[in-house]
Amino acid sequence: MPRMPSVKGVRSSLLSPLRVHLQGTIGFGRLCQIDLQKKGEAMKDEMGNGPGPHRKRWGRMEGVEEERVDELLELIWTLREKGVSDLDQLLGETKDVEAKSILRLMIRDGLFHMEGNRMVLKERGEEKARELIRRHRLTERLLSEIFELSEAEVEEEACKLEHILSPGVTDSVCTFLGHPPTCIHGKPIPRGECCVKFKKEMTPLVIPLEELGLGEKGRIVFIHPRSHQRLDRLSSLGIVPGSVLRMHQKNPSYVLQIGETTLALDRDIVKDIYVKRAMDAD
Amino acid sequence: MECRADRSKHLTSSLPKLILIGNPNVGKSVIFNYLTGKYVTVSNYPGTTVEVATGTVRMGGKRLQVIDTPGVNSLIPMSEDEKVTRDILLSEASKALIQVVDAKNLRRGLLISLQLMEMGLPFTLVLNMWDEAKSRGITIPTEALKKILGAPILKAVATRRKGLEKVGDQIHRSHSLSLNPVTYPEPIEAAVSEIVPLLPEAAISKRSLALMLLAGDESLSGWLHQNLSEETIRRIETIREHIQAKFTDPVGYLINQARLRKVDEWLSQAGVTAGGPPRSFSTRLGNLAIHPLWGLPILLFVLFVTYEFVGVFGAQISVRFLEETLFGQWLLPPIKGLMQGVVPNRLLQDFLIGPYGVFTMALTYALAIVFPIVGCFFLIFGLMEDSGYLPRLAVMSNQIFKKMGLNGKAVLPMVLGLGCDTMATMTTRILETEKDRTIVTFLLALGVPCSAQLGVILGLFSALPLGYLMTWVVLICAILLVVGRLASKLLPGAASDFVLEIPPLRVPQLSNIVVKTLARIEWYLKEAVPLFVLGTALLFVLHETKLLDLLERCARPLIVSLLGLPAKATEAFMIGFLRRDYGAAGLFMLAKEGLLDSHQILVSLVTITLFIPCIAQLFMMIKERGLKKAFWMTAIIFPLAFGVGGLLHWAMRFLGV
Repeated sequence: MPRMPSVKGVRSSLLSPLRVHLQGTIGFGRLCQIDLQKKGEAMKDEMGNGPGPHRKRWGRMEGVEEERVDELLELIWTLREKGVSDLDQLLGETKDVEAKSILRLMIRDGLFHMEGNRMVLKERGEEKARELIRRHRLTERLLSEIFELSEAEVEEEACKLEHILSPGVTDSVCTFLGHPPTCIHGKPIPRGECCVKFKKEMTPLVIPLEELGLGEKGRIVFIHPRSHQRLDRLSSLGIVPGSVLRMHQKNPSYVLQIGETTLALDRDIVKDIYVKRAMDAD
Repeated sequence: MECRADRSKHLTSSLPKLILIGNPNVGKSVIFNYLTGKYVTVSNYPGTTVEVATGTVRMGGKRLQVIDTPGVNSLIPMSEDEKVTRDILLSEASKALIQVVDAKNLRRGLLISLQLMEMGLPFTLVLNMWDEAKSRGITIPTEALKKILGAPILKAVATRRKGLEKVGDQIHRSHSLSLNPVTYPEPIEAAVSEIVPLLPEAAISKRSLALMLLAGDESLSGWLHQNLSEETIRRIETIREHIQAKFTDPVGYLINQARLRKVDEWLSQAGVTAGGPPRSFSTRLGNLAIHPLWGLPILLFVLFVTYEFVGVFGAQISVRFLEETLFGQWLLPPIKGLMQGVVPNRLLQDFLIGPYGVFTMALTYALAIVFPIVGCFFLIFGLMEDSGYLPRLAVMSNQIFKKMGLNGKAVLPMVLGLGCDTMATMTTRILETEKDRTIVTFLLALGVPCSAQLGVILGLFSALPLGYLMTWVVLICAILLVVGRLASKLLPGAASDFVLEIPPLRVPQLSNIVVKTLARIEWYLKEAVPLFVLGTALLFVLHETKLLDLLERCARPLIVSLLGLPAKATEAFMIGFLRRDYGAAGLFMLAKEGLLDSHQILVSLVTITLFIPCIAQLFMMIKERGLKKAFWMTAIIFPLAFGVGGLLHWAMRFLGV
């Protein structure tokens, strides 16, 4: 049986708001803790050994480990979610003793700037923080819902993974989970490219063909491949993803109109076809 | 509906070939008839042509052999009739092609064009039904399309013979075809270039063969084993499996998708615009005919008209005139007088005009009883075929057929069986699985009366209260339902999908109806009359040798005790094997002579409807399904027919009806 991720995508995205509703009130996400002593040693190491892989990406931020920047960015983001952007409050919450100097470097690097005592993320910082939060919260969901890890384990792993997941893998996780809108603590997961695409092409619009009303038109999004022969046959009649068809009637047999072709089909076949409602102009 | 045994043997002719190819129901046969001056059946439903027809035409001083092929939706065949077409392309080395396209359905037509291009076969494109496309507001810039395809294009309305004059001009012109219209996803292209060097030279391009193989075309395995070593075949299979593993979707589906994308590109490139939905009366009526609510009264109306025309006008009024007046008063008395004067020998006299005489029995049955009924039925049936009502009947009855483990597509051969079971047995080729074909063949043999038999049956019932006809209908349908369901449970294999194309409802063309009805009547006279004479001769011999009495006595427990019929009814069952209608006509005469009461008429008609198929159908069953299956079907039908008849007789007796 071939995989059909998109079907799963549709289903779980329909369920996930509900799940979020049930789980969203459990608690607030904890902040990632950095073992500072260890990090400090690692820092010295890296400084001694010349520029590491991170430093290439953060050219001007020499001497500061990227993860520590990440943590502060995340903190700025989560505080902002609570309506807080005060620098002092941030310094009160962070565990990083060198926060001040790192923040200075971050300002210099154009990640955020200060408006009085308020921290305001700049475009680059905003984007980086959004991606971090997205990775973190998606990972939380993956680990707790799919792998069913304990909350402590979830946090520990999420804190590691948020720094290393590639954009492709992140989107795959997101798709796999059905583009969940919130994390396990009920906080919003920033949308990624995959979600936008999903929303545009599929989200509430993808319905089984049998749910298309009489006289309505639909564009085929995908066909569940139950049998190879059936797919071959349908495609030779012009029924492939992208084709527009009109539901003519449902009883005593399904009758569909594709261009000037009228086809009568069984419910068995129709229920494998998923469409998006199309405007009449199509 | 007619015997087309002469159709398939001509492919060996050495003349250059002109092949007609295209989607189902686009008018290939109309063009074939136009070119060759022959007549092959033309109807308004997909799958009219299930066998190849050939004829000759003179074009530009050269004689060509024209080949009419069954319609295809893809050159990767899905059913037996589609395979026939592909195999012709594969086997004929020198050929010219005319691709007939329904101009309304250009997209599907171009899907075939594209495959022909891939095969490296030049073709002329005939955009048929140009009038229908125009009335729907579809515009097709043919010049632009011609440039894209590199093939000459003709606009035509074949049924009115418009636009076909130039077909001949185009055929001999060479045109430059683009060879590889589509570039497939990279892994598929890689696999194609891997397979191509392994293939032998063939009538079509190696690239197209490689694509067929990648798509998993099982119907090609015969050709493969003829042309390639086992090792190479295994290697190709490995390549195929390897490539399939890279995709979730079947490769054939991906190939088709890429092709359709290309076709859509062509359409927009050429500036083809789609039309609006037609709002004509026939469209609306066509929609009503499959409407869940209105479809039923329309169906009943169609049945009522058929009954009135065939059962009342054909079987009563016409038969009365032909049998009693024409034969009884005008023809037979002078013939009898003449024979008695001219033929001295009493035996010969009896053979010609006795109770089992050629004139008095065979010709009277054939021409006075069956002929008017069959003629009427052919006419009505032709109307149903040409209007496009038959596939709509399939939509209406799909649910019922599903209960038999079949789908609505099987309705087509089943309804065609009401015309001629022999032809219908051949039409089972449009079904996709052997299981479906077997079940339909069996049900046709068991309980679908052919037009001639049906006409006679209707004629008999029309003299009785309506309840008798209803009992017969319900009983036969119930038996078909139960047997079909059992068969679908017992036979291995999967049922095929119900995907049926519904043609637009059209006003039938009078000329085609007339030509078709006449062609069928001609076939009836040619095939049925000799068999009637043969059957009569057989009865005559049995009668003269007193064997008939013996047989009747042997059959007595069956006919008299079990079914409660007069012993003379044995004859009807015996000759019923030669022709279904002949047997029914025998019963018709018995009833007319007052030898059967209404109870007996019902029992005898139920039995003879279920009774073994006629000899022609039996041969067709053997040809299509093999001797073993045909034997088993017959072996089941015989006891079943008499069992049901006996049960009915005793049940009615018991209930005191």
